[in-house]
Amino acid sequence: MTALRRLGDGWGMLVLPLAAFLLVVFVYPLASVLARSLTDPEPGLGNYAAFFDSPVYLDVLGNTFVTAGLVTLVTLLLGFPYAYLMTVARPFWRGVLMAAVLVPFWTSLLVRTFAWVLLLRDTGVVNALIPGEPVPLLRNLAGITIGMVQVMLPFAVLPMYATMRGIDRRLLRAAEGLGATPVFAFWRVYAPLALPGVAAALLLVFVSTLGFYVTPALLGGPKDVMIGELIVQQLSGVLRWGFASALAVILLLVTGALLLVASRLVDLRKMIGSGS
Amino acid sequence: MTGAVDVRAVTKRYPGSLALDEVSLHVAAGEFMTLLGSSGSGKSTLLNVVAGFTEPTSGSVLVDDADITGVPPHRRELGMVFQHYALFPHMNVFENVAFPLRRRKVRGAELRRRVGDALEVVELGALGERRPAQLSGGQQQRVALARAIVFQPRVLLMDEPLGALDKRLREQLQLEIKRLHRELGITFVFVTHDQEEALTMSDRVALLREGRIVQVGTPQELYETPASRYVAEFLGESNLLDEDGGLLLVRPQHLRIGPPDGPGLRAVVREVIYVGGGLRIEVERPGGQRLVARTTVRPEELPRPGDEVVAHWSEHDSVNVPA
Repeated sequence: MTALRRLGDGWGMLVLPLAAFLLVVFVYPLASVLARSLTDPEPGLGNYAAFFDSPVYLDVLGNTFVTAGLVTLVTLLLGFPYAYLMTVARPFWRGVLMAAVLVPFWTSLLVRTFAWVLLLRDTGVVNALIPGEPVPLLRNLAGITIGMVQVMLPFAVLPMYATMRGIDRRLLRAAEGLGATPVFAFWRVYAPLALPGVAAALLLVFVSTLGFYVTPALLGGPKDVMIGELIVQQLSGVLRWGFASALAVILLLVTGALLLVASRLVDLRKMIGSGS
Repeated sequence: MTGAVDVRAVTKRYPGSLALDEVSLHVAAGEFMTLLGSSGSGKSTLLNVVAGFTEPTSGSVLVDDADITGVPPHRRELGMVFQHYALFPHMNVFENVAFPLRRRKVRGAELRRRVGDALEVVELGALGERRPAQLSGGQQQRVALARAIVFQPRVLLMDEPLGALDKRLREQLQLEIKRLHRELGITFVFVTHDQEEALTMSDRVALLREGRIVQVGTPQELYETPASRYVAEFLGESNLLDEDGGLLLVRPQHLRIGPPDGPGLRAVVREVIYVGGGLRIEVERPGGQRLVARTTVRPEELPRPGDEVVAHWSEHDSVNVPA
């Protein structure tokens, strides 16, 4: 009701350019992807049936989830102490830590991924430092995980840092004054207060990772195909546009379902900063 | 009775400053001791040394004759209340108060009974389900009090617990903390910069200045027989008169203002202010020194600014202060 009235007073017109833009570049393509998945090569649910009939494709979906789960886990395990360190560091070091997270974030994904290829291959820098036989770090899950974790770290560190920065550290001191060991104080006081940031990081990283293409394509092996790669392969490799569309719709639905579940557990609006 | 605190020659040195300088203080078991001082006097540092949050550079702290210097705060079994309440925002009132007990593995009916008792003591029995954010400042500090006493510590440490509250609430909680002290019978160490608060609440007061204790005694001792000019000026209003190389203290309520032909110190009235129940008269002596008198004179005798008067007092109302 109020939203409608606001639209009517003229200011609402300001939203029209963006709305028109989204309509053309987002809603229309999405609708046509959905339509194509149901009509190409022939009308019906054939593309979806093909997906669910073939263990190969289900494996790819499963692999996508496993990889995303692994990447999320590693990212959070690395990001949590990093974000914590940022909250306790002096301003100068906090700036250094922040820059270390953000500079890669502003660097081209493609450049970074190729850099990993140079670093991780059998004759690369990392293996040069490890004595003995080269450790396989490329074209496998290790390569994918390293590459994607590096890409996703800012998405984990920033929301966790934002939440942790708001935690009153005097509460930990109070807990210790009441008899809590530092470990007890951490789990009973700090961790619950940091949880919204961790949940936001988890969701952001997991959902983003599901749709990754460049990193797994360059760093992963034939056994580590993720659904993004499969879509590209179907689209430009074997020209099954209808099937590729169906894959995209499946990915979108699964992601949507996850967000729906997550919204039951945590306040999503709070996470992206628009909640009160 | 247990809960005697002994601070022995505690020094705390920070880079470039000396927060505590060889401070020694004995707090008897069951006593209400107030550490009084302005900001930077070292009173909070001293409390934090006792609590274990601050490691002294040298010296030791004993509770009931056991040396606890170097023992981490969570093993000291002392209750602590902070100015900023420090309630856990993600827990309701019940869980906040239960926190020290859960740590000590108290569970079930025993836990509920003890939390309930502690909340009864601070008169918040009905608010267990509330979140701290739903409470007023005074209620929050009561929860913090309940949380600090629920595990029956030998000593309760309070760091300016009423500093964030408005005057009326502060006075109300002062009385409640006094009552709590009587009911629990444990040792209270209370930090404040408010001399009035220190005088009304304490069994004894230790006045700190620049990292040293300048005087320890009952409120009456500090007020009536201050050990130095600093103590006299810190506690209440005071008129300090130079007299043969010494100092004479006359409190405003003992200073009388009379007609200019009588005996006493000649002065000119500068301000006459009505303060509920009496007058506050400020007079100026020829040298420029101002004296303050508090009286309840009748309106017809009311002096006016500019009047020549004399200030006088009975000899037994004046005190010599070591200069």
